[in-house]
Amino acid sequence: MIEYLVDGPLWYLSLAVFCTGVVWKLGSIIFTSRKTDLSVARDSATSGAVRTVFSRFLPHREIAASIKMQVIAGYMFHLGLFALLFFAAPHVLFLEEHILGFGWTAMPHWAFIVSAQFAFLGLIMLWLRRLVNPVSRLISTLDDHVAAILTFIVMLTGCFALLEGSPALRLLHRFTVELWLIYFPFSALMHTFTFVPSRAFTGAWFGRRGIDA
Amino acid sequence: MVNSRYIYSPVSPTQLTAIILFVVGLFLTQVSVAAVPQKHENFPQGVPTINPGSELWREIRRRDGSGEFNEVNQGLLVNELLREMRNSQQIQQGISQVGQVDSGVLINAQGKRWALFRMTTLADYSAIAIAAIFVIIVLFFVIRGKVSIEGGLSGNVVKRFSDYERVVHWTLAIVFLFLAITGLILLLGRPLLIPLFGKDFFALLASASKEGHNLFGPLFLVSLIMMLISFGRRNIYEKGDLTWLLKGGGLIGKGHVSGGFFNMGEKTWYWMVILIGLVISISGLILVSPNFGQGRLIMEFTHILHVVSAMILIVVSIGHMYLGSIGSEGALEGMKSGYVDINWAAAHHDRWGKLCREQDLIVSAEEYARLQGQTGSISQPVTEQGK
Repeated sequence: MIEYLVDGPLWYLSLAVFCTGVVWKLGSIIFTSRKTDLSVARDSATSGAVRTVFSRFLPHREIAASIKMQVIAGYMFHLGLFALLFFAAPHVLFLEEHILGFGWTAMPHWAFIVSAQFAFLGLIMLWLRRLVNPVSRLISTLDDHVAAILTFIVMLTGCFALLEGSPALRLLHRFTVELWLIYFPFSALMHTFTFVPSRAFTGAWFGRRGIDA
Repeated sequence: MVNSRYIYSPVSPTQLTAIILFVVGLFLTQVSVAAVPQKHENFPQGVPTINPGSELWREIRRRDGSGEFNEVNQGLLVNELLREMRNSQQIQQGISQVGQVDSGVLINAQGKRWALFRMTTLADYSAIAIAAIFVIIVLFFVIRGKVSIEGGLSGNVVKRFSDYERVVHWTLAIVFLFLAITGLILLLGRPLLIPLFGKDFFALLASASKEGHNLFGPLFLVSLIMMLISFGRRNIYEKGDLTWLLKGGGLIGKGHVSGGFFNMGEKTWYWMVILIGLVISISGLILVSPNFGQGRLIMEFTHILHVVSAMILIVVSIGHMYLGSIGSEGALEGMKSGYVDINWAAAHHDRWGKLCREQDLIVSAEEYARLQGQTGSISQPVTEQGK
């Protein structure tokens, strides 16, 4: 019964909520009406947008030294999670069989383990930093903590099911993934998609005014 | 025009080169992974030739002397040889076509002894050690009570640990707790959890624990290295530490004893974590990677070393958790907010506290509340006058 629910209706429901939510949120951001900028353009807004999207991957020189840990842990977590999501053999197989209809080369097992370790360590350190730093703690909302803990649980159940020998552990992982997908569009996890338009908007605004920021 | 003095390139040439190298590296990794033929279920994996029994028969024929097959004699000889192997104190190594470690060993009598030791002595003593430390802590709390600060908390604080140091400490703590819980499930779960939850649930829990334990193991080593780099220098023993030890760290009897930034007890705990942690990590890596030529004997010895050293650290860490929280007034604040009360510093680390006063590093209660983002009224510190 539980297997049927998790593999069937709940999976389709979570996928529907995720896709609809993400499209709706992104659409509402991109197509929202803005006031026309009547000022004379000093520079290209487009080049400013493109430049900012990529330049933000590195910290500003002035603050780089003081946020070294966040940058390193941030990259460890995000790259590790990206590798796990799209290059772990069970995920590649799942995407091929259930969603896309085609697959690609999966990571070898040792790379899977290393990616998971990077992702875990990065996430733990980032979440702890959010807790111990008074400024981060104050600006953090309940959503930030729920998003971090839910992502951790999804990764943890995934690592529990690594042996692929127990249907119950696989179901547990899939169930937590479904919860994560349902929570995703309503949470800070949306930054997975919104970071591009957010950076582009800021970059375009600055670019039009000739500000190199 | 924008003043060029205020413009800097967001990406320097060095950074740009690093990005390009990173992207190219990722691409090459993907290409190289694609180039290596992947294992496939339908792909022939070679013919297994494991036949350690052949050497046994060769030995039987040699002992029989005739070289001819005699069913009765062969049966008796087999039984005799098997009995001899089981009871032998030494592992009898034969010859096998399989060129792997221990593949010539038909019966490993030592393995049986190790399994028995692991299932009984090791598990029993581990459970007793954990129960004992809880009893000791409860007794200590009842007899000694909470170690309070003379004069109470003043409200004025000094910075003790940076954000990074606290992140390192809590990272190590989280990883250690996870490993300790999953490790204890694997060690003690069979006698303790099967009667409570049944075999099916325990099988599930043990499988999950084993995977989680193996995955998180290397993170413990990484956390230890970060701990060594962050706290190592301040934990080097110095003059006056021995006095602290001789006076029992102030826990026995009345009054606190002199200490620097870290006292003798904290330093000893720190080096225990680092050194025993290294033993646990290295033995764990040997256990988790059995494909480097280590035989069963090495694995069995390493396993015992891993469990014994982990148990020492688990037991002492329970004491550390007690003393760092409910056992000692004001101690947890250092790792929570990074600041400690100046009276706490004077009581437990008087030399460091004195230094903070001399260098005027004391932060007032109001300033501390502001730094912590407490906009409302702060709790009134308890002082001798305020009592």
